[in-house]
Amino acid sequence: MFEHVLSTMIFLPILVGLVLLLLPASQGAARGTGLVASGIILILGIRLYFGFSGAGGMEFSEIRDLLPSLGISYNLGVDGISLFVLLTGAVLYPLVFLVMTNQSKGCYANLLITQGAMAGAICAGDLVLFYIFWELMLLPIFFMIGIYGGPKRLPATIKIMLYTVAGSLLMLAAIIYLGVVYHTQFGEWSFSAAKLAGLELHGGAAVLAFTGFMLAFAIKIPLFPLHTWLPDAYTEAPPATTFVLSAIMAKIGVYAVIRYVIPTFEAEFARYALLLACSGVIGMIYCGIAAIGQKDIKRLLAFSSASHMGILALGVFCMNIQALTGTIFQIVAHATSTGVLFLFAGMLEERMQTRNIEELGGIARQAPIFAFFFAVALLASVGLPGTSGFIGEFLIILGAVKFHTAIGVLAGTTLIIGVCYMLWMFQRVFFEKTNDRTAGFKDLTGIEALAFLPVILLILIMGIYPQPFIAKIEPAAKEQIAFVRPAAQVANYPVLEKGHVPEQK
Amino acid sequence: MTCDIVPLLPLGIVGFGAIILMLLAAFEKIHLEVAAVFSMGVFALAFVMQLLPAGPDNLAPYTALFHGMLVTNEFTKVAALIILACGFFTAMSSTSYFRLNSFCTLEFYCLMIFATFGMLLLTMAHELITVFISLEIVSLSIYVLVGYNRKSVTSAEAVLKYLMLGAFAGAFFTMGAALIYGAVKSTGFEAIASFIAAKGLVQSPALLAGVFFILFALMFKIAAFPFHAWVVDVYDGASVPVTGFMATALKTAIFAVLANFLILDVGLKDFWLDGLFYITVFTLFAGNLIAIGQNSLKRMLAASGIVHTGYLLIAVIAVSSNTISGHIILFYLAAYAASTLGIFAALSYLGGKDEQRSTFDDFKGLAKVRPYSAAAITIFLLSMAGIPPTAGFMGKLYIITTAFQAGQTTLAVLGIVSSILSMWYYLRLIISMYFHEATDPFEIVGSPFAPVCTLILAACVFAISLFPIAI
Repeated sequence: MFEHVLSTMIFLPILVGLVLLLLPASQGAARGTGLVASGIILILGIRLYFGFSGAGGMEFSEIRDLLPSLGISYNLGVDGISLFVLLTGAVLYPLVFLVMTNQSKGCYANLLITQGAMAGAICAGDLVLFYIFWELMLLPIFFMIGIYGGPKRLPATIKIMLYTVAGSLLMLAAIIYLGVVYHTQFGEWSFSAAKLAGLELHGGAAVLAFTGFMLAFAIKIPLFPLHTWLPDAYTEAPPATTFVLSAIMAKIGVYAVIRYVIPTFEAEFARYALLLACSGVIGMIYCGIAAIGQKDIKRLLAFSSASHMGILALGVFCMNIQALTGTIFQIVAHATSTGVLFLFAGMLEERMQTRNIEELGGIARQAPIFAFFFAVALLASVGLPGTSGFIGEFLIILGAVKFHTAIGVLAGTTLIIGVCYMLWMFQRVFFEKTNDRTAGFKDLTGIEALAFLPVILLILIMGIYPQPFIAKIEPAAKEQIAFVRPAAQVANYPVLEKGHVPEQK
Repeated sequence: MTCDIVPLLPLGIVGFGAIILMLLAAFEKIHLEVAAVFSMGVFALAFVMQLLPAGPDNLAPYTALFHGMLVTNEFTKVAALIILACGFFTAMSSTSYFRLNSFCTLEFYCLMIFATFGMLLLTMAHELITVFISLEIVSLSIYVLVGYNRKSVTSAEAVLKYLMLGAFAGAFFTMGAALIYGAVKSTGFEAIASFIAAKGLVQSPALLAGVFFILFALMFKIAAFPFHAWVVDVYDGASVPVTGFMATALKTAIFAVLANFLILDVGLKDFWLDGLFYITVFTLFAGNLIAIGQNSLKRMLAASGIVHTGYLLIAVIAVSSNTISGHIILFYLAAYAASTLGIFAALSYLGGKDEQRSTFDDFKGLAKVRPYSAAAITIFLLSMAGIPPTAGFMGKLYIITTAFQAGQTTLAVLGIVSSILSMWYYLRLIISMYFHEATDPFEIVGSPFAPVCTLILAACVFAISLFPIAI
């Protein structure tokens, strides 16, 4: 069974989810099944982590022909980058089933399907396979927001669906284009990411194909100015869905840029990195400022999440090893902290029947454990030293300064915006006076506290002793960055300007 | 010569079945549903016969019959299989439909089998007069089927529009055939091909005009721009099973002829390439624009059929002279047929008496009351929209791949853009079904045939996607 561990991690949740959808199970049974399934995935994930050698390259590979006439293969594998993205999902998922007790059956089933599809998108080494999982992970989200979402869910669903489908269909065109180019250059069909990386692409068509990929990923991340679907979708979605969207799915956008765009489009990537990095920084500042003004706690967190995705994107586009390692580290760090924050926001809403910050207050006195956990996650999210967020953001800013001083400095100084809205929100929700509504707030139960504890500990451990994690990330990050350097060194590259070239060291 | 009978066996079975049913109908000896089962049996038998290999000593992939009047090869065989399957599922789902609607008589099934006979002949025809005869067999049967519900005003309107315009198209075709005969002195495809290869297309004005007329007639039948205007009204007026049958089987047959005709000679296709390019682009976008504005489900499906014609035209353009690429057209047709027939099968038992549920709003909350039906419809819609892992996605993948390969990058990208647009109206039905509360109990009366048919077709949508084809 262990040689098919990746397939199991992908298809077990999907199958269980489908069966749950088809069978008339009670809500409790669905939640229990989900918990068991995600628990199995977690155990497999932990075994995967310890079985992973970290020597670089793909491990746990499974390669089988799927459609030989077109060279489409069932090609799975993990390296140091995908391992962490995959594990983030595996670690956080049981939490949803433990903590979110009153979602409906369909919601639990859809969550499982999403988990499997996301694992598929992370592990896929074949672009068509990746595309299939990429679309598949969106469908359950669509149904979850549309069926179980808030009062304004319809516009939110249509927005997220049309946005993402538009992006991913253009990516499909780009994927097929790559396959056809590979066929003409090498005389055989293949959509394998590793083989497509060897393509020689140039000219306007390459730029268009690059745009196709980047649009899909920029919408998913989301990168400014394609972020407008995010606040509505995050706010209207049920808490568990928001959690999945922000903690894991958005990260897959960043991950996909690293995994599929950098190796294939090294020249185009180097050429447009500055532009994209700028867009990341603008998004970070813009969404941060927007977050300050929010009255709804979930909407505030949505903007905060968008703002942090800007930092992550910046890290990818800096094209150096520090920033890339930092990005992958930050993917895990941000997933844990924001994921927990969204879950807490969901619990607040469930218990208080409101998300309005003004109607809350004084919760710290009623629920000290809840407030403490919330504070840890919040501080990690703003990047306080000693928490996981600090390491990631530090590495990214370091890389950004190396890449382009102005951008690095701008990004470094505007991190303070995050502190503004987060601490101000914390003050209004947890301190100040207790009102009638919050007076009855019950603290976390023992089970809930135990469920959150490992994640909170993980946030702290990653902040205090990040070395073991970084050691596993770095070889893979180096491999990815190796794709960029030669391209950037190409002499006389037409539009390449001074600031675009990463410094040599 | 004896072996020639084997490829014709399915054709014979269908034709014979139609005549028997007609005789039985004249004596009114059998019940309606027996007739439905009988026609299902005819289709199934012909389908099985078609699947059989053509005999031990006749393994040639290409067989010319009656001195090249008819030709059977892999392409015609698969096309015939699709048409027979469409007939089978239409007959199956129509039993449920006619429990709710009472205008059916025995001749309905008889005409349907005749139409199928014509379509089978059409796929094989390799000679203009044969094409014309089979086209008219199909058209005459379909005209009657469209107007079968005599008491309905929209049905009458539909048949009038279709008859008038169809007659024009038929006349165009005959005119074209006559002109070509004048130039080539033969109506056989082989002769036309060798004439074009020897003398070129533009040398003879009569030949050019003839080809022009014939292509226009075929464009009319597949509802390509600018001959698409009739589709929406005709599909809307025809009863649900007939609409489903027209949208799938008829389209398959006409595309088979179009492909057969266009691959006659490289010169012939290259000459039309530019024209076809613009026709395709306009077909895609006109279809989408019409579909976006529709409120009625049948009208939306009709308009989306125009869009799918556009995709198929992309494949036709990209088809190179090698015959393999023809498989892509057939694959897409099969994928499209499974999902379209599936929706029409679902509509035939969910539509209610006299098709009272017809707009998007009428299906609000279907998922709450009939989750399995709603799930099946969702699968069909996703397949039409080209979302993986359905057959529609694979079809689109193949088409876009060949388009890129043939150097038609613009066309490939425009195809993708049009499928982004089409998401809107497919999603709209899913949104109505899932994201609203049910106000209608959606009680189902009638035979279990149509629900079973829907289920089978939903499975087909996934099964077809697994079927590998060479590129």
